[in-house]
Amino acid sequence: MTDQFVTFAVLVLFALPVIGGIIAWFAPVHRAGAVAGGSIVVASGFGLALAFPALLGTRVSGLGGLVFVDALGGLIVVIVVAVGLIAILGTPAHLEHALEDGTPSERDPARLWALMAWFVGGLLAVPLLDNLGLIWVAIEWTTVVSALLVGITRTPAAIEAAWKYLILGSVGVGFALLGTLLAYASSVDLLGETSDALAWTRLLSIAPGLDPALVRLAFVFALVGYGTKAGLAPFHTWLPDAHSQAPSPVSATLSGATLAVSLYALARFQQVAAGTLGPDLPSGLLVAVGLLSLAVAVPFIVAQGDLKRLLAYSSIEHLGICALALGFGGPLALAGLALHLLAHGLTKASLFLSAGGLVASGRSRRIARLGGGLSADPADGRAFLVGSVLLSGLPPSALFVSEIAIVFGGFQRGWGVAAGVAAVLLAAAAAGMLFHVARVVFGSPSRPPTVAGLRVRHLLAIGVPLALTVLLGIWAPAGLTDTFDRVARVLGGAGG
Amino acid sequence: MTAAGIVGTVAGLIIVLGVALVLTRSIGRSILLVAAQSILAGIAAIAVGISLGQWPIVLGGVLAIVFKGLVAPVFLRSMLGSTTVAVERHPYIGTRLSLVAAIAIVFVAASATSDIGVSGAPGVARVLPAAIAQVLTGLLLVMTRRKVMSLLVGILVFENGIALTAFALTYGMPLVVELGIAFDLLVAVAVGWVYTRQMVAVLGTASTDSLRSLRG
Repeated sequence: MTDQFVTFAVLVLFALPVIGGIIAWFAPVHRAGAVAGGSIVVASGFGLALAFPALLGTRVSGLGGLVFVDALGGLIVVIVVAVGLIAILGTPAHLEHALEDGTPSERDPARLWALMAWFVGGLLAVPLLDNLGLIWVAIEWTTVVSALLVGITRTPAAIEAAWKYLILGSVGVGFALLGTLLAYASSVDLLGETSDALAWTRLLSIAPGLDPALVRLAFVFALVGYGTKAGLAPFHTWLPDAHSQAPSPVSATLSGATLAVSLYALARFQQVAAGTLGPDLPSGLLVAVGLLSLAVAVPFIVAQGDLKRLLAYSSIEHLGICALALGFGGPLALAGLALHLLAHGLTKASLFLSAGGLVASGRSRRIARLGGGLSADPADGRAFLVGSVLLSGLPPSALFVSEIAIVFGGFQRGWGVAAGVAAVLLAAAAAGMLFHVARVVFGSPSRPPTVAGLRVRHLLAIGVPLALTVLLGIWAPAGLTDTFDRVARVLGGAGG
Repeated sequence: MTAAGIVGTVAGLIIVLGVALVLTRSIGRSILLVAAQSILAGIAAIAVGISLGQWPIVLGGVLAIVFKGLVAPVFLRSMLGSTTVAVERHPYIGTRLSLVAAIAIVFVAASATSDIGVSGAPGVARVLPAAIAQVLTGLLLVMTRRKVMSLLVGILVFENGIALTAFALTYGMPLVVELGIAFDLLVAVAVGWVYTRQMVAVLGTASTDSLRSLRG
């Protein structure tokens, strides 16, 4: 891949969603979707063009060292692109439901589209950047933009959720900034005051010589900061509110893509920290935070009464598993982590959209009032049932494979107790999840259904990701497993 | 006055202003205090930048004065004019406890930074305790205040503390990163302004006491 192409692709990818969003903001409402959605699709195309060589083993770099994509970055690009496309496909159906309920302003659909373009554009930038400072800037950008999206309906509950998200998100991400500049300071003695002292590739290559006291602090602050954004307990308190109050396509993106991107940023810090301090401290902290996330999420899943909050707590659970896998380390758990991030993004995005359909046709979020989803809204009901089974990690889901890999990987690496506890908590979460889902989809509807005609795009958005999750669970050609192994090697600090 | 002298004076003043921030109940006054802190930090950066002949550091200081010392506070003042809340009447902790907390912050910051070595800057290391104290002060404000405007001030203090930590450790980040951070901060304040207006319009108040409905 030539330097010129990389430069061109990256500049288009950064600029297009910004421009598309600005045009969509002012465009007539019926054109906004085409402009904003189109800009994301084209940017996604360039993202995939940079990601695929990296996934197949050829690392991509350019733009004067600001851009570097390895297999891990490539995987995150794929996740953001997939979830972004699902969200875009699901947005028209969501807007139709919202219009039936009456939105506060007729300009809101255009604003939703514009903000989505900025949001997804920011997410796409993160895995491409080889600069911890700019990664922070992109993540904070996604925080403020998505805070506007969370509260776009302007109901009191949505404003409350958005406000908490803005304040807790800003403080949390502030800690990540502190971690970033401590990492920078740790290298100044070796590299001097140059901007490539913020390049994680540089930091990784000189990790053994960095100042251990500063790196230790940097990792702890990054864990608090990006852990907050990734919804890891005990920094998760904003997440159930924001993910449940946001419009469904926004919830899908927040849950499927933003959490993965935040964990990606944390993983880069973990690699540097492990290089300087050895793996013990970062692993121990990650395992502790992961287990705590599982333990916090499970009771709220079992006792949940609100359909979208159920999915939100399930996100805390799944990111907890991911943090555990990162802490366990080793090829098996890390390959499991790669598969888990991808499969969770696909299923969770689909589930938020089908849940949005069920909530719209049942006119309530309360699980107790939603019975009979399969007959009231057959397409969303079926997708929700199948998606929940897959999300719970039952075969033939890819999440079954990834969870088995992570738990066994934990046993292999001597984290037997943690892996055992995690397995029990996973089973409890699955049981709680499926109990609520059964209440929502089976039985007879409590009120006459009010289904609007479902669009093909919505059906694609909820169906295709589930089919892919099954496919990833039962079909593992050598090329695909090689790719996941490559991502695992990067996560393990060996490069790929 | 030497650069080192200016930096030392600034560090002391920032700590004093931080204590005042914790004690004051007037939101208007707290905006002035955070503006003063930002301008002082900018002056320190300019002084050090000139003494070292490093123009990016000078520019960073000028940016801090313009954006955090002038633009953001003016913006917050105009927001304050559009809400009816000007005083933080009942924070979660009272004046006496606030004073204890403010003093505790100064001591914690001084002891936590005593063993971090900072390589060869003229007195810049002296800012580090002030910077950490500012970070903790911001956190304290965010945790103990009820009015949304006070929370925005708290965030600004917190972010200023982080920027000052960056200055103390490394003279600040590379310029492109500094610009990105400043831009994000402005956008965050603007989004806070949007939601403050919506809270007043929808909930009829700019106090977070009305934000207690989402649980479980």
